Order: sequence, then C-alpha cells, then structure tokens
Amino acid sequence: MLGFSNISLSNFLFWATQKKWFIYAIFIGFILTLLPTPNGLSVEGKTSIVILFVSLILIIKEPIPLPAIAIFMLISQIYGGVDNVDGIAKSFMSDAVFFIMGSLMLAVVIIRQGWDSRIALGILKITGNKTSGIALGFLSISAILASFIGEHTVAAIMLPIGMTLIRFTSSDISKVKNLSAVILFSIAYGCLIGSIGTPSGGGRNVIMINYLNQSDISISYFEWMIRTYPFIFLQIPIVNWVIIKTFKPEYRILDSSIRKLVIKVARSRSITGRNTLTVFIFFLIFLGWVFFSEKFGLGTIALTGVFLYLLGGFVKWSDLNRNTHWGVIILFGATISLGTSIRSTGAAMWLADQILYFFGGLIESVPFFSDVVVIVMTTGMSNVLSSSATVAVLGPITLNLVPNMLDIGLLTAMASSFSYFTAVAAPACTIVYSSGMVKAKDFIRIGFRVGMVSIVLLIMYVNIFWPLIK
Amino acid sequence: MKILIAIGSKEFSKPTLNLGMKVAQAFNAKTTIIDVGEKISEFSSQLVELAQDQMESWDFDPPGVDVLEWAFNYLSENNLIDVTQLETGFPKNRLIEDGEDRKMVYLSGTVCEDVNLILRNGDIISELRDEVQYGKYDVTILGKSRKRNMSHDLLQYINSSVLIVNNYDNQKFDKILLPLNDADGMMKVAKYAIRVAMALDVGIDIFTVINKKSLNQERSYIIKKVIKLIRRSGVQFTNEEKEGEVVDQIIKKADKNKIIVMKASNMSPIKRYFKGSVPLSVMNESDVPILIVK
Repeated sequence: MLGFSNISLSNFLFWATQKKWFIYAIFIGFILTLLPTPNGLSVEGKTSIVILFVSLILIIKEPIPLPAIAIFMLISQIYGGVDNVDGIAKSFMSDAVFFIMGSLMLAVVIIRQGWDSRIALGILKITGNKTSGIALGFLSISAILASFIGEHTVAAIMLPIGMTLIRFTSSDISKVKNLSAVILFSIAYGCLIGSIGTPSGGGRNVIMINYLNQSDISISYFEWMIRTYPFIFLQIPIVNWVIIKTFKPEYRILDSSIRKLVIKVARSRSITGRNTLTVFIFFLIFLGWVFFSEKFGLGTIALTGVFLYLLGGFVKWSDLNRNTHWGVIILFGATISLGTSIRSTGAAMWLADQILYFFGGLIESVPFFSDVVVIVMTTGMSNVLSSSATVAVLGPITLNLVPNMLDIGLLTAMASSFSYFTAVAAPACTIVYSSGMVKAKDFIRIGFRVGMVSIVLLIMYVNIFWPLIK
Repeated sequence: MKILIAIGSKEFSKPTLNLGMKVAQAFNAKTTIIDVGEKISEFSSQLVELAQDQMESWDFDPPGVDVLEWAFNYLSENNLIDVTQLETGFPKNRLIEDGEDRKMVYLSGTVCEDVNLILRNGDIISELRDEVQYGKYDVTILGKSRKRNMSHDLLQYINSSVLIVNNYDNQKFDKILLPLNDADGMMKVAKYAIRVAMALDVGIDIFTVINKKSLNQERSYIIKKVIKLIRRSGVQFTNEEKEGEVVDQIIKKADKNKIIVMKASNMSPIKRYFKGSVPLSVMNESDVPILIVK
C-alpha cells in the first residue's frame, strides 16, 4: 500500500494500538478547542482546561512515558498562549517540586539504613502475639512513621517485615490468604492514613501549601498537625476493625511465627554509628520542617538533608540517581505549572462556578454539602490518578468553591489520601500489591468499605472537631 | 529453529509448557521460556524497585522468580534439562540482568538445544513482540487468553508463528488437523505439521474446504504437492474435502483431540486489522490448540 511494506504497516498499526489513548486524547482536545469559548471564560482559560483534560487522559492511561506527558503539558501551554515561556518556567519549579525531589531522595537513604529490623522488634514488643493486635501495630506504626517520612518510604520498609511474618506462619501462601491481606492492607492503609498528618507526609500536602501560599494564606507545620493528626488516631482503630472483619485471618495467635521473626531480627546486622547518625540528620530535617518551613519551604529543608547525606558519604550520587524517578518529578512540576495557569487565567474560578451552578445552590444551603462534593470528587480522582496529581489539578478549583480556603484546602489534601480502592493510585498500595500476596479484587473489596467509612468520618471530623479547635 | 514459550502462572501454564516442550523437542529447537510480569504504573515503578531491593535483603525473590522456579522444576522432573551441574535446584544467583526489565538464566537442554528462562515486566504483547524481534524466534507458544483482543494482537503484531495452547490434554490428543488451501506458503505449514506429527507419533487429517464462492473447485497444484509430501514422510493421514463456509467447517472438524495447524492470512496488515481473517476466526472460536504458521 503506497509503497509501504507489510512490516512497516504492521509496525505502524502496532504503534497506533499502543498509543491509541494518546490519539483519542489529542482528538478530543482538538474538538474541544474548536468549540466556542463559554461566557465568563477567557480564551487562555479555555485552552488551559483543554490541556488539563487531555493531560488527565494521558496520565491515567499512560500511553506515552510520564516525562513526555510533562513536556506536552509545558509546551502546549506556551504554544496555546496560556502564558509566556518565562511564566511557565517560573511556575514549573516550586518548593513543592523541591520537596517531591528531596522526599524521593531521602527515601533512598532511609530505606538503606537497616531500620526495618529495629521497627519489627518495636512492633512485636508493643503488640503481643494476637493477630488483631499485630495488625493494629502494623497499621499504627505505618501511619505514624508515614506522617513524617512519607508513605512510599514506610511501605518499602514495612513490607518485608509483614511478608516475613506471613512466611513464618505458613510457607504455603494459599493457606494464609486472609492473614496476608490483613497484614499487608494494615501496612498500605496505615501509610495512606498517616500521610495526611504533617506537611512532610506527602507531596500533595506541600502542593496544597504551595497553592495556599499563592493566595497569601500560610499554615505552619504545627498548625497542620493540630488540624489533621487527630484524624489519624480516629481512623486507626476503625480501619483496623474493618480490615479484620473483612478478611477473617486463619490464625488468631501468631506465637511461633513471632518467635521466628525475633530470632531472624536478632541475627540481622546490628545498627552502626553511621546508621544512628543518619537518624540524627533526619531528626534535624524534621526540626527544620517544624520551625523553619514557613520561612524556607519544606522542599528546601528536604534538599538540605539530601545535601548533608551526600556530604557525609551516607549515600552515593549514583545510588540516588538510579533510584530517583526524575520523570515523576518533572511531571509534578508540569502539573503544578498547569494548576497555576488554571488559577491565573480564571479557569479555576470558572470551573468552581460550574460546580456551584450544577448543584443549584445546594452547596450554599445544605450543611456539609460542599464537604461531600469536595471529598467525593477528590477521592474519585485520587483512585485513578496519583494523589499528588489530584491535588495539583483539583486544588485550584476546590479553593474557589467556598470562602474558607484553608479549610477546603486541608479537606482536599486529606481526602486525596483515600486512594484505597485500587492498587495503582498510591505508591504504598502498588508496593504492597507488587508482593503478589494480595489481588486487585482485594483492593476493591476492602477499599470500598474503608473508603466509605473514611468519607463519613472525615465529614464528621471537619464539622465537629475543627469548629471546636477554632 | 528457535521457540519462545510464554508462561504466566503455576496454576494455568502446565499444558502450555507441556505441549511447548514437545514441539521444541520435535524441532530440536533452542527454547526460551518467558514469564511476563504485570505492568507497573510508571508513577510507582522506581519505588516498587526500591521496595523489591529491600525485600531481597529479607530473602524474598522478586515477583516472577517463583514462576520460573516452577518451570525449572517441571523441566528438571521431566528430564528436559541437564541438572547434573546444579546441586541446589533453581540457580537464582545465575538470573542475570540482561537489558532493561529483562532477567535471564541459561540452562543446558537435553531433548532440545539450550533452554533459557527469562523474566520481563510490562504489557504482554509489547514484551513478547520485543522478545521475538530480539531473539528472532520462529514460533511463539502461549496459553489462550480470556481477552478476545489478545488473539488478534498476537496474530497481528508478533512476527513469528504462533501456537495457542487451548484445552490441551496430553492423554487424549491423537491427531493433527491440517486445513489446506491453495495459498502460497502451504508447503511450510505442511512441514511444520509433519514434524510435530512425527515427534508425537500421531496422524494428520488433511482437510480442504471448498468455498461456494470459489470457482476453482479442483484441488490446485499446491495442494497436490502437500499431499505428496505428507505421503512421502510416512505419517498416517486421511484426506477429506467439504463444501461450505471455511471457518464453520474447520471448527466442526476440529474435535477435542486435535491440534489445528494452519497458515496465517496473506492479507495486508491493514485489511487484516479491520476485516479480521480466517485463522483469527478459527483461533477465537475453536477450543483446541492451534498453530498458525507465518
């Protein structure tokens, strides 16, 4: 056909099949561009919404590599006249991007330090030998650690501990399916629950702080904790109960497996002075976040920690370079840049108005209705998109929904942690899923229950607890 | 001759490995057994790798190694590989990184040339296509997927002959069904059928469907040549002609104890993509193993 060989035609068809979502997205984007600009929306605003829509399809379906999606988001903003080159470049690099970069690098350092065996001992000392107590221990420790050092780091540290305990209970995984689910979901969901506790718990928190700062609203590390941390303690026992009730574990007591785990941990390498020093440096980073993040930014402090680890030879640059996903960092930079454009072009305000119009005054007249809308929207999106990308995209819109930007901003960040339904949305869930011990359908089964409970709890929490502390 | 056998799990891949190794034996082929692990979202891929490094320090194998270990044990128990130099079973320490997202272990074959075990991760069609291009395989063997598009994609994009193992029962299998037409390349198909029939000691049912649309109802020169070739090989065969729709007749003829060996469509990739083809329809509708020769 037209001089093309069968092999080249077959290669082209294969490319088109693999990239079909890219082709669909561009086609939809083209059609949307041709539609007339709605009243009240600027041409730049409309273009930024079209780019957002196309980018969302690309991020969810991943037909092209993430860095390519990021480049598409940046160049299409410039070619589409949303902003000039300097404006896009400026919004591309922010403290939130510094934080995501620093947090991914800190994860590499922390995971390599052998803290896992000490954590394992700590959990077993606290929890005793009952399965429900052990699950509660995994859930609580994961949540508390994740609130400071990030969900992905904690999931990577905790997973082998949980898997070892399961293996010591039975080498035949089919005989301990429910126990596996209880332990592994306690780890994954613990990480998600904890990630909202402090600004350093997840990139999405820093992204939200970034957007709040753009609206001249600031919140300190402590203030954030006061507003969000009690919710972690509220969720832990309830989620633990839901997990145990959903997957009734095959064994109620794990006596011999715990003894085997203690012996294994005792035989593992002991903590060295250098390991202790890494903990001390991390403690300094934590103090920096608490006391200086408003002045210097969380990202700058995280990168200072990375600098100290490199300076002290605690980690090699080659190791950081190999294990840091630069594509993800570039993508978050581009998503935040697009979010900033959506805000500055007035598109965020227009989209917020459309949501208000759609619900016909219910948001203003029915109590809690705006909370329900924001939580459902954020939860839905964070289960198909990454939670950080959800906040980067939805943040500018939800901040325009109600007058109290701080409350709605915190609510959006908190709801973005509800990515319980799928194995792919949150890194903690993907890490646990990669063990092969839990199935995708398990996520739907337990995720629906935990998700619904969490949504109800969050609505009650923000409407009962927040007014009290104000 | 090079053969690629794709396996996916201990539960479902035994018939695939069983028939695949028999075909490999028939051709004395260099054989590679591949497990393609699930695609991980790019968002978390690096973090998952970091977590897997951590798991290895607690003596956990990366996902997929257990499937390769199962395949190794199967080959070993059936004396299909030489394990005299391997004292401790599956040599995990010899599973070496060989390119991005590709791990490999070399083993010494007994009934066929060397056997390699490979672990890859990603989209199955994409990974198999890459592997076939990289290793220049002649036949790709895999189990039938529940996804309907899978058969289409395999025929469309994998540049080798494809054997789909469907409801294969080693004990009951007794015949090869060879649907013939007068298209080019039929001699190659016949040679494949003869090799498999001779190795497995079964006969061949030659089957020609005369389509009403086709004006030429006489067997062509090519078909005569094929029959002559089979007769000379000494393989027992029957020859039957039927009138009707090609796909319907082949499906009717292919009962549970047969393996269908047929030729891939000669249509252009574009036509095949939109219109489908006879081999694709037979593959989708039949519930027996089918080898499509390209």
